[in-house]
Amino acid sequence: MTELFEPSLRALRLADPRLSRFDPLPRIITFDDFDRGFCGWTQLVGNYEGSLDVMLPGYAQHSAAMLSTCTAWEFGSHGGFDGSYSLKIATRPRRRAQNVAIKRLTFRRRGPIRLEFYFTFKPEASELRLSETDVRSIGFLYDLQSGDEDAEAFRIMPHMRFLNALDGEHVQKWQFKRRTTPFRPLGTENKTVTHYHLSPEDWEDLPGGGQRLCYNEIPTKINWHYACFDFDLETWRATHFSCNDRSFDVAAYEPIRIPGMRNLWCMLNLAFFAEADTDKRAFLYVDSVCLSGDF
Amino acid sequence: MIRESHNAVVARNEKWRGPIVTEPYEVGWAREIIVFVRALSVEGATAGIEARIQISPDGMCWVDEGSRFELPTRADEVTFARVAHFGNWLRIVAELPQGVCMQPVVTISLKA
Repeated sequence: MTELFEPSLRALRLADPRLSRFDPLPRIITFDDFDRGFCGWTQLVGNYEGSLDVMLPGYAQHSAAMLSTCTAWEFGSHGGFDGSYSLKIATRPRRRAQNVAIKRLTFRRRGPIRLEFYFTFKPEASELRLSETDVRSIGFLYDLQSGDEDAEAFRIMPHMRFLNALDGEHVQKWQFKRRTTPFRPLGTENKTVTHYHLSPEDWEDLPGGGQRLCYNEIPTKINWHYACFDFDLETWRATHFSCNDRSFDVAAYEPIRIPGMRNLWCMLNLAFFAEADTDKRAFLYVDSVCLSGDF
Repeated sequence: MIRESHNAVVARNEKWRGPIVTEPYEVGWAREIIVFVRALSVEGATAGIEARIQISPDGMCWVDEGSRFELPTRADEVTFARVAHFGNWLRIVAELPQGVCMQPVVTISLKA
């Protein structure tokens, strides 16, 4: 059926200015244009039981994502890729600070899914210098779990980040990780655990993953980039990753794989994150996001 | 068209001591705001301590907007300020006297 309708489906999408900048699979699961509000993107809060004091510090630092006009102090609002607003994830002004925005779904079909989004990043323009090494990284991740009747229960967390800078060095490469920190129980009811999958350890280079992204020439000008990540919910493997004009070999890519949790069946979470390399806020802007599936 | 509405938690369970300031938050899409402060815990005498709303042209340079409200004096008390006509950026600031510590949840309720 998909093959029969594909030409007309493609023509319809190309005629729609909101979708024609994407290459979605046949079924659009979500299309988040932040001129329509937050579209379900919210702050990632860490797990806790009994008291917020037990939340891991990596999560406790998170704050609310914003609808941003991407405003610069010396020329005003940049606006979004399309319309006025983008989703903004801002860290605190502290080296290694992170922040994460998340959207929580579940999946209904196994098979290929495609995440496409336009993004840009900058540090807070608190100095009159280029500041191209003040953002450590920006990235995205899925948090997935098998179905409740699957033979094997596991949780899969594909991570990808663009390591822009590390300790002042302008690195500019894509990385993934296949390990998280050990699980730690929270509280006394034996129902809640935590782990810190965005810890700075265990990032690995995506082979051939070096990429020089357009950054522009002063700390306030931004340019939007396109990214596309294909993942298969049946094989639990990445099948494609591209950013702007570059496609990357994902043969070596592996997601984090951990035992399944007892209440996360068919989970399909998406998240974006930003990380600072200096004591300056790091900003990740996203506008917009298209998640599609082959069903 | 339904009016956009959003609750943004901009501070959660931090230990507030001395001068405090919340992270800059972009609010340009909203027409009206209520800033709520709920205390999760309070140590010391907080009666009469005021927080101030600040606005900014760029998220970096800040000025008092004029709204002030008292901080909670005990756990689970909630205080608030209503704000209108605030531009694109908003934060709250306060000065806690020596010996006072508060763990808050600060929620900005925005409506278009």
